[in-house]
Amino acid sequence: MAYSDKVIEHYENPRNVGTLDKNDDNVGTGLVGAPACGDVMRLQIKVEAGKIVDAKFKTFGCGSAIASSSLATEWLKGKSLEEAETIQNTAIVEELNLPPVKIHCSVLAEDAIKSAIADFRAKQAAKKG
Amino acid sequence: MDPFAVLGLPRRFTLDMKQAEARHLELSKTLHPDRYAAAAPNERRMALSRAVEVNEAWRALRDPIKRAEAILTLAGKQVGETREPKPAPAFLMEVMEAREELDEAKGNAEHVERVVSRARAQFAAAEGELGAAIDRGAFDDAIPLLGRLRYAARFLDEARLAEDHLAGF
Repeated sequence: MAYSDKVIEHYENPRNVGTLDKNDDNVGTGLVGAPACGDVMRLQIKVEAGKIVDAKFKTFGCGSAIASSSLATEWLKGKSLEEAETIQNTAIVEELNLPPVKIHCSVLAEDAIKSAIADFRAKQAAKKG
Repeated sequence: MDPFAVLGLPRRFTLDMKQAEARHLELSKTLHPDRYAAAAPNERRMALSRAVEVNEAWRALRDPIKRAEAILTLAGKQVGETREPKPAPAFLMEVMEAREELDEAKGNAEHVERVVSRARAQFAAAEGELGAAIDRGAFDDAIPLLGRLRYAARFLDEARLAEDHLAGF
């Protein structure tokens, strides 16, 4: 199966690979996996005054999974949480030209975004008590 | 296709693999095109399609993941792609940590060996648990265990790759 140029570009030069401090109250961590292929993806956001100021990811999986999460972190930076929540896997599919068999990689990235946001909100709620 | 029926074996996860392989060889020999060289065209075609089926069945049964998928699918369960439930967060954390450890171990023979032998043990344990669940008919319990085995298989592949890399392959 041939990867699109954009997938290869992100795979060879992934953006924002790394880790944020998961114990920081301003950091939300999303950890998701695809049982069918054994992929695992961690996506983290750092939020200040309702805006995502930083995003990092680490993905062990195929080129499409890496490209999907790399693209997601690029899109997340500078967005408000509300804007970030509207990111859909179909936009990732379109941007990266993912073939049907790789759509689940973009679903994984969308899940990772949602679960990072949910983790951040849960932390904030816990802080308020 | 029911690969168990094709090879005349009981529909179980725990199989006598030597017996299964012997059945595959025996049937392949019986259905070999050379034996049908003088047969009528329709008989020849039949034998050929049976031979293809026998090969496919063996491929499905020799691999523990495919064997589990075959049994669960025949039992009417949905497996593969995005049909399986999401893995538990604690499990994903373990997977992530194991992957990161392997990354750190790369280049250090002793550390890679440790990771590989642990990966082997985890694969064997996951296979054992999955087989036990399937063979007692607990198919719903088996589905997340199949996910575990897939992760274990994937990790073992990666760990072996790191090992090969050390050996200069």
